Amino acid sequence: MPIELTLNGESIALDIDPRTPLLDVLRDRHGLTGAKAVCREGFCGACTVHIDGQAVPSCLRPIGLLQGCNVVTVEGLTAPGTLNRVQQAFIDHDVVQCGMCFPGMVMTLTTFLDGTPNPNRDEVKSALVGNICRCTGYERIIDAVLSIRSEGVA
Amino acid sequence: MTAQTGYGLITTPQTVAEAVAAMAGGAVPIAGATWLLRAPLRHEPMPDRLMSLRCLTEVQALDIGPERAVIGAMVTHDALAGALAGQPDLAGLATAAGASANPGIRRIATLGGNLGAAGFAASDLVPALLAADVTAVLATGSGLQSLPMAAFLAGRGGGGLILRVEIARSARRAAHARLPMRKAGDYPCAIVSVSADVSGGTIRDIRIAVGAVESTARRWSSLEDRLTGTALDPARAEAAAREMSDDFTARDAVDAPGWYRLSVLPVLLRRAFTQIKV
Amino acid sequence: MNRPTDPRSVVMNLPRRDALDKLTGRTRYTSDLGVGVLHAAIVRSTVASARILRMDFAPALAIKGVRAIAQASDAPGLFGIGIADHPLLNGTRIRFKGEPLAAIAADTLEIARAAAAAVIVETEPLPAVMTMAEALSPDAPTLHPDWKSYELLRDGGIRGGNVAWEARVIRGDTDAAFARPDVTIVEDCFQVGRQNQLPFEPRCAVASFEDGRYHIHTSTQVPWTVRAVTAKALGVSASRVRVTVPAVGGGFGLKFDCTIEPIAAVLAQKTGRTVSLVHSREEENLTCLCRENAELRIRSAVTAAGEIVGREATVLMDCGAYGGEQVFLTTMTAHTLGGNYKLGSVRLNSRAVYTNTPPNGAFRACNGVYNTFFLERHTDNIARAIGMHPLELRRRAVLGDGDIGATGQVFQGDVLRPMLDRMAVLIDRTKDHRDKADGRLYGRATTVGTWFIFVGPSSATVNLNADGSATLVTSGVEIGSGTMVQALPQIVAATLGLSPDEVIVKSADTDAAGRDLGVGGGRATVSIGAASKMAAERVRDQILDIAAEMLQAQPEDLILTKGRVEIAGRPGTGMAITTAIARAEALFGPVSGNGNFTAPGVNALPGCAAGHFIEAIDIPVFAVHDCEVAVDPDTGHVEVLSYKVVQDVGLALNPRAIHSQIQGGVVQGLGYALHERVTVGPDGALEQPGFEQYLVPLAGDVVPVEIDLYEGAPSIGPLGTKGAGEVPILNVGAAVACAVSRAVGRDVSELPLTPPTVLALIQGRTGRMDHPQISAIWQDNLLARAT
Ligand SMILES: Cc1cc2nc3c(=O)[nH]c(=O)nc-3n(C[C@H](O)[C@H](O)[C@H](O)COP(=O)(O)OP(=O)(O)OC[C@H]3O[C@@H](n4cnc5c(N)ncnc54)[C@H](O)[C@@H]3O)c2cc1C
Ligand code: FES
Ligand code: FES
Repeated sequence: MPIELTLNGESIALDIDPRTPLLDVLRDRHGLTGAKAVCREGFCGACTVHIDGQAVPSCLRPIGLLQGCNVVTVEGLTAPGTLNRVQQAFIDHDVVQCGMCFPGMVMTLTTFLDGTPNPNRDEVKSALVGNICRCTGYERIIDAVLSIRSEGVA
Repeated sequence: MTAQTGYGLITTPQTVAEAVAAMAGGAVPIAGATWLLRAPLRHEPMPDRLMSLRCLTEVQALDIGPERAVIGAMVTHDALAGALAGQPDLAGLATAAGASANPGIRRIATLGGNLGAAGFAASDLVPALLAADVTAVLATGSGLQSLPMAAFLAGRGGGGLILRVEIARSARRAAHARLPMRKAGDYPCAIVSVSADVSGGTIRDIRIAVGAVESTARRWSSLEDRLTGTALDPARAEAAAREMSDDFTARDAVDAPGWYRLSVLPVLLRRAFTQIKV
Repeated sequence: MNRPTDPRSVVMNLPRRDALDKLTGRTRYTSDLGVGVLHAAIVRSTVASARILRMDFAPALAIKGVRAIAQASDAPGLFGIGIADHPLLNGTRIRFKGEPLAAIAADTLEIARAAAAAVIVETEPLPAVMTMAEALSPDAPTLHPDWKSYELLRDGGIRGGNVAWEARVIRGDTDAAFARPDVTIVEDCFQVGRQNQLPFEPRCAVASFEDGRYHIHTSTQVPWTVRAVTAKALGVSASRVRVTVPAVGGGFGLKFDCTIEPIAAVLAQKTGRTVSLVHSREEENLTCLCRENAELRIRSAVTAAGEIVGREATVLMDCGAYGGEQVFLTTMTAHTLGGNYKLGSVRLNSRAVYTNTPPNGAFRACNGVYNTFFLERHTDNIARAIGMHPLELRRRAVLGDGDIGATGQVFQGDVLRPMLDRMAVLIDRTKDHRDKADGRLYGRATTVGTWFIFVGPSSATVNLNADGSATLVTSGVEIGSGTMVQALPQIVAATLGLSPDEVIVKSADTDAAGRDLGVGGGRATVSIGAASKMAAERVRDQILDIAAEMLQAQPEDLILTKGRVEIAGRPGTGMAITTAIARAEALFGPVSGNGNFTAPGVNALPGCAAGHFIEAIDIPVFAVHDCEVAVDPDTGHVEVLSYKVVQDVGLALNPRAIHSQIQGGVVQGLGYALHERVTVGPDGALEQPGFEQYLVPLAGDVVPVEIDLYEGAPSIGPLGTKGAGEVPILNVGAAVACAVSRAVGRDVSELPLTPPTVLALIQGRTGRMDHPQISAIWQDNLLARAT
């Protein structure tokens, strides 16, 4: 029986091994390579997507458990050509380096800020425990996130 | 790397009876999948026949009542931490659920999966549930079975579908001290979970559970006996624990040598006591 | 015509042009290209040392969907840097667990992996050595019995048995120095483990074979090395290989070598299809070309005034099963361990040692990171022994203008001493964080470090387009450091009076651009930058000549600014640059210019250095780091409370981007100092296959680095720049180790300082470090010169 779910607003049906990680479905079948396969074990967060509004690692989500779910990837996060406030803050603060971790960072921080509009530095750091970056050393990413907060407050 | 050949199957039983029957036929429950999907990394085969617990209402309960708390097997770490906030007798479990792993994993990994992952030595929930003295309720071929945690752990792998755990509420206070190598995010190398009945500064009754030190978490009964009836004193508890730490045969593993786990156990006990005291 | 570009006009916090796609997930890395192609998997050895008796591919070929097999005979020959000792696919003698033996292309990755697992490899075990101590013992089995027959790609190294390469420095009379009655002699042993680069994108390549030529898309820092090695392995002319490089998902030196690309090329040629070969994380980690583990014995003779009159040291560097990068890196000891301080006399010996473990490689500030740790901890021990404050000792002993380095090179300019003063100012500006230690042990240390910019050949072409934009064609690749998207367009734009976003930067394509040594060693801004600047100047000169004619002015009086040619001092009198371009195109055709660059060469003292690839450093770079730590006496956890960097940058072209590099580099250094541990198991395999075991710093483990960019030190880089991306990691291990050592009141002799290591130190479980495998008599560690 095919698995039906919504991917970036479109309904799709998949007739594949239900144990296949969502990550592979996105990358191999749908050409959605924004989610990166870096550790495949839930530690790095580079594969983070939104499933029913929650930021979770797609490498550990077997497609067979996603019947009826709403999946949004970084490609579907915003309308083409537009950026959300997290992405914009990252550009404004020039924080990107190799870029591999950033789609996951964006996905995690977008839902985090929805739930915690005025975080402090430690809260942002706690939210990023599952998002590793090998290049930037994090702190400037956090500065960028905190700039959103202060804009929100103003 | 194990190559996956052929299609696997994930069925979705509609009733507990169907699920139990499926298990008897070899189907393996899949909950958050955060353990099962890592099977290839452990060089273990991924089970071909899995069953999702999504449609079983019996495993979804999350009811923190004044007398009794009932936590269904499919409750995620995240949901559990949220529901237990502000309950002193369940503070240890709340910390265990809220500080384990990382936020993304906490949103999907479940209580049942944490209990079911028998090969996982560093589970946070297991010692917290031992200290909370919960009863695990399992559905088996011969009907419902209620087991104290220790008995459940001893028989783990013997099958049975975990439905929920039940906890008798009390005026006890609990704490959970874990020690990862970084600030957070990695597996703890040692865990001490404590639940104590304290009145007038004296410990009337105490349960101490130790995780990650041996391959399976267990209660530290000799230390419990020693501390019962004494004052709730973090420093003295630490000293007592240090004297008795050879009760454990600690694991040497890539993350930490055994001596290190034993060395920090008393410190974690002190930290747990300090939390309880506050 | 000599028209200096005003360096200040180039300086800006230019944002990255690649950020938008990277943030929206649209950037296509090599590892994203494997859609609709064949997938390859590598057959690897399961033991560390054995003779291969037989390989049977029949069971693999029987699997449906298997398309081709590449084996040793398909990519014959031996490769290396310095010594050709390394087969790409090994068909005869296994020297480490996980060694590539063959590769299989199939319709899907699952099939390829199943087929790889089905290959039968029959072996006869051989004795193995897992540590350098074992490898150097008199009765050790030799990993490369045929070492004498190997082709030498570079002369001068002393070799023999399990010593792949030995590089020595001998300057002055150390015997006399140590015999002086007025000196204190301080002797120490130190060691470090390996560090995994862990770039997020693993090593991967996508190869195709079209029109008789190989085309390899790969995640590399060295497209020209890949081209050369692939051609040699395949036995074809290098012109038959084209290498293109999309965005690279991190390198840090790991991708400074050619590893899997030729294998993908063989499979593409055999199948006629495009083949994707991507390491799994486990393969990547277990065969990672790590920063090598190293061991040191050092002793110094120092006067009461802090004058280091003699120094002797022997460093052992584990190259793993093949010489690789370590052969070259033996060179660096002279400039790192032999750096920082004035030495009256010195004898250094760096030995690259073969073991039956996975080969090591290059990692950001290779060799320098641990030698700086060794040197700075040793310097603290010297200070203690002569009763001088460690900062005072450094202030007195650091290299200054006219001082000679270990190999006799003369340093120009006082740099380290004023940088120490700048650090003192930075420290004074912020209060100390002792209160944050909150009952834990508090320590603080300031350390110095010497590094260099790795120069070497680069080329560039600038095409000035009719619309007034320019296209810069080089072999540079964007590995995340921002050179290709920030520094280079800034340099070209400033020369041509354009804005940086009017400069198109072509990513590396060996069919389009000239040869280049690669991106790494901090060289991209300097070497590619210099070539780009020269190319842009040649374009500028052509335009100014044309415009001068049109404006009836002298070219010397014209400037290019804001897309216009103007008469200097009379804005608005000139013309749009497009007008001049149109005229040039009508007269001679499109305007373009080429530029090139190579190592200028700085002198060492003749006869000081033997077996060195680099005897003197062209562009030294200095760094001063300061760190405060709190150590939990109960668990051994080290928390970094503050971190400060004063870095010698020459000219800061893009200060914001340099700050990013420093923050990122320091954090990688914190990983090295505190968390990142690679261990070799009893079977010779690395024990950290994934992120569960290999711990890198997370957001909660780091602090914002306070930064002061030190400008103005001499540099031959374009506009006075120096590379800024490599050096930030240099003295982090040193600063943390010195601070922890002071906090716990014990000698820190090894990294990483994981909680168990620190707790063992605090509890006195760790004895004084000694390396019996390194003789206390310096000469006894030397090989007889091979004949
Ligand atoms: C990156 C990462 C870090 C982690 N860190 C921690 C940590 O610090 N502390 C911690 O405690 N945990 C941690 N975990 C989680 C832990 O390792 C397990 O992955 C998790 O607890 C499993 O839960 P799950 O719901 O995903 O189980 P699944 O993977 O779905 O199942 C796990 C096992 O339990 C069985 N099972 C599941 N439900 C039932 C049931 N109702 N009845 C019977 N058997 C059942 C399954 O058959 C399987 O054998 C971490 C996980 C990851 C990926
Ligand atoms: S790839 Fe999924 S968490 Fe790392
Ligand atoms: S920018 Fe490279 S991993 Fe984060």
